[in-house]
Amino acid sequence: MIPITVNGRTYQIEADPTTPLLWVLRDILGLTGTKYGCGIELCGACTVLINGEPEKSCHLELKEVQGRSITTIEGLSLDGSHPLQQAWIEEQVPQCGFCQSGMIMRAAALLREKANPSDVEIDGAIGNVCACGTYQRIRAAIHRAARR
Amino acid sequence: MTSESPSNNLSVDRRELLISAAGGFLFGFTLPGFSRIADAAVLPQATDGSTAINAWIRIGTDERITILVGSSEMGQGVMSGLPQIVAEELMVDWSRVSAEHAPAGAAYVNPVYRSQLTGGSMSVRGYYQALRTAGAAVREMLMSAAARQFGISETDCQAMSGMVINKLTGASISYGKLAPLAAVLPVPTNPVLTPDDSLRLIGKSLTRLDLPAKVNGSAIFGLDVRLPGMVYAAIKHCPVLGGTVAKPPSRPSGTLAVVSLGNAVAVVADNTWKAMRATASLSVSWSLPSTARNVDSSVFLSQAQQLMISGAPAVAQSVGDVTTAPGRLLEMSYYVPYLAHACMEVLNCTVNLTADGCEVWAPTQGPGSVVNTVKAITGLDPQRITVHTTFLGGGLGRKIEQDYIAQAVRIAQAIRRPVKLTWSREEDFGHDQYRPMALARVRATLDAGGNVTGWSNRIVSPSIFAQRGIPLRNGVDGQGVEGAIDLPYAFGSRLVEYVRHPSPVPVGFWRSVGHSINAFVVESAIDELAAAAGIDPLAFRQRLLAGNPRVLAVLNAAASLGGWGTPLPGGRARGLALSVSFGSIVAQVAEISQPVVGSLRVHRVACAIDCGRAINPNSVEAQMQGGIAHGLAAALWGQVTFKGGKASARNFSNYRMLRMREMPRIDVQVIQSGAAIGGTGEPGVPPVAPALANAYARLTGQRVRSLPFFPGARMSEE
Repeated sequence: MIPITVNGRTYQIEADPTTPLLWVLRDILGLTGTKYGCGIELCGACTVLINGEPEKSCHLELKEVQGRSITTIEGLSLDGSHPLQQAWIEEQVPQCGFCQSGMIMRAAALLREKANPSDVEIDGAIGNVCACGTYQRIRAAIHRAARR
Repeated sequence: MTSESPSNNLSVDRRELLISAAGGFLFGFTLPGFSRIADAAVLPQATDGSTAINAWIRIGTDERITILVGSSEMGQGVMSGLPQIVAEELMVDWSRVSAEHAPAGAAYVNPVYRSQLTGGSMSVRGYYQALRTAGAAVREMLMSAAARQFGISETDCQAMSGMVINKLTGASISYGKLAPLAAVLPVPTNPVLTPDDSLRLIGKSLTRLDLPAKVNGSAIFGLDVRLPGMVYAAIKHCPVLGGTVAKPPSRPSGTLAVVSLGNAVAVVADNTWKAMRATASLSVSWSLPSTARNVDSSVFLSQAQQLMISGAPAVAQSVGDVTTAPGRLLEMSYYVPYLAHACMEVLNCTVNLTADGCEVWAPTQGPGSVVNTVKAITGLDPQRITVHTTFLGGGLGRKIEQDYIAQAVRIAQAIRRPVKLTWSREEDFGHDQYRPMALARVRATLDAGGNVTGWSNRIVSPSIFAQRGIPLRNGVDGQGVEGAIDLPYAFGSRLVEYVRHPSPVPVGFWRSVGHSINAFVVESAIDELAAAAGIDPLAFRQRLLAGNPRVLAVLNAAASLGGWGTPLPGGRARGLALSVSFGSIVAQVAEISQPVVGSLRVHRVACAIDCGRAINPNSVEAQMQGGIAHGLAAALWGQVTFKGGKASARNFSNYRMLRMREMPRIDVQVIQSGAAIGGTGEPGVPPVAPALANAYARLTGQRVRSLPFFPGARMSEE
């Protein structure tokens, strides 16, 4: 049994300690907002916050996150009221939506570091992949959330 | 696929309007004639006491209006665009409207395809008239029910904001209260549609219904389906195309089952990661085809070159005699590679197969085909097959295919438990049904006045249709030549030929299909001709489009938006391209620079689209932005090569995707010409590659005739 804290709740997980956090979240805890995209830390669809820092959960082993505070998209706000979530709607960002949990989590981490990032800073920080090409709207939504 | 709008020749009689009343008594009928049909199996079963007024519309006692959508939502906004059409006629407020994917069923087929299929940018075009008619019919039924309640004539009633108002007294009854009464009334055969000048919702940039669930993690994609007692399967295909399992491997320890699937093996475990890990390390004995070494990109290229010279060309279009066209002959050859779809959501499918029937949850562009797939494998009556279309994390044409569906059904059949099959990213790239490669040769004659007196284009490419056993009419694959024939330009004589390249690589539909190939060829060649004639590429096209004002207007709009002809900062150049596809006209101006040799920076793409009428202009803009991003990644880096029967692409590491820092500013002008409605999911893609190549030629003097710009591109973490 390995204890982990996800979105403020502590769970005792019975699984191979090398299981990637991504699959603990998705298959064991049923928190499917965090996505599998590539499994090699490239696309960022699996991005979550660990103690506030953005991490790709596909390569974080369960044993590595023991005792750390994990935030997933489901924990960002219960009702979609987080400024980023609201800005994402106002800018009509998502298309297929598959990458957007990871995008929003990465953007949340960015706004913690920089309250009002420039386009260059956004481009530098967010390497997540969106095959629908929503990037222009993501930039606009981050600026919008930053103004709040 | 057809590019003409079907919206004016649709009639209600093709549609099944089905009625259900609260409490579950269900019946339906077909318009016109009201012949009742006993088969209610396709009806959405409302479990919440709401009333399904017809197969598309459910009105709740809480006044929620739920619109069932026959198309699959894969990012293109169809789960909002189609309800917007119904809500217009139904006279309900957008804030009360919800949408759900319809189940697989005859009531939901796309009227153009007569199949429940999402592709060919055909959702709005296919359903538009039927959905307006359905919305209007239900509105009239609700008004009829209200008139009876009020004891007045229907002409004294008015439908507004989900209520019917008694114009004589000002009293009103809500739709939620009227629905059970309306549901049992006859369906009007010829409901009156709202006049164009009174439209409230169509043409407005309403907020998309599916987005709240896509920003809080609650949207359920195929990958997110969870069933009680479900187990998880992963798959390993024979890495060599055409190979099969020689001897089924034994079950790896810690897993639940291993299932042999012909050209692949699946491992079942109690979570996805265990299944994927066990599958990856599985040692399988494969029977490899003797021809595997010929599955090689250099072999394909020399085959195509040989076919270009000595293949028997089929004539796709011939006007006049190109051999006698006067002027200077120019010859240009172009090549485009095989491409992967690279949907963000890998292929997956969840199946619950029991003695009673089969339920499938899948991110699919073809729920109707899924029913057929399940039936073929299980022998079950279609009435016992239920298909739940989930959100698709991108479809791009890949999720029309049935391979991953069939595999999941077979695994469920073998293990008799609810199971979700998930392909790894590596399997998704390695066993795609790739966008066909193509080789094209343009021979054009240019007279002294800069007129194109003759245009001939021979295309050598694998045929998606032929590979599926669909016979080619006169030897021509219609999708192989789309965007190469019926060009808007006033050429003199014209000859377009097709030579089928019988490649062993499985090929499939990729966003914009043949247009993605042929626009690159045609629009690159046009710029080369303009350069040879010493005429500005915009002016050159304007002359060729003088007799085609609608296309010319789009070209001019893009040129103006992109600042064509205005001064640029040093080291930058612009390129222009145009494409008519899926009933829409799109022109783009790309502005680029080359910061260092061997690279390319796209600063801006200006895009004009005339899609006749935009249901939701903001969604059209989004599709242009998305199509351009998709086309940019493909043009710059996209390529799948083959060696020894194996595909090169393994993951995003060697199939580079566009990222935030590479995304140009995109400006979109949506032109509402009022012409027949055109598609928007695909038409943004085709002009991108030639606009880039044309800009690159003006910037560097080098003409890129072979895509991608940068083969062998890799993507690293930062």
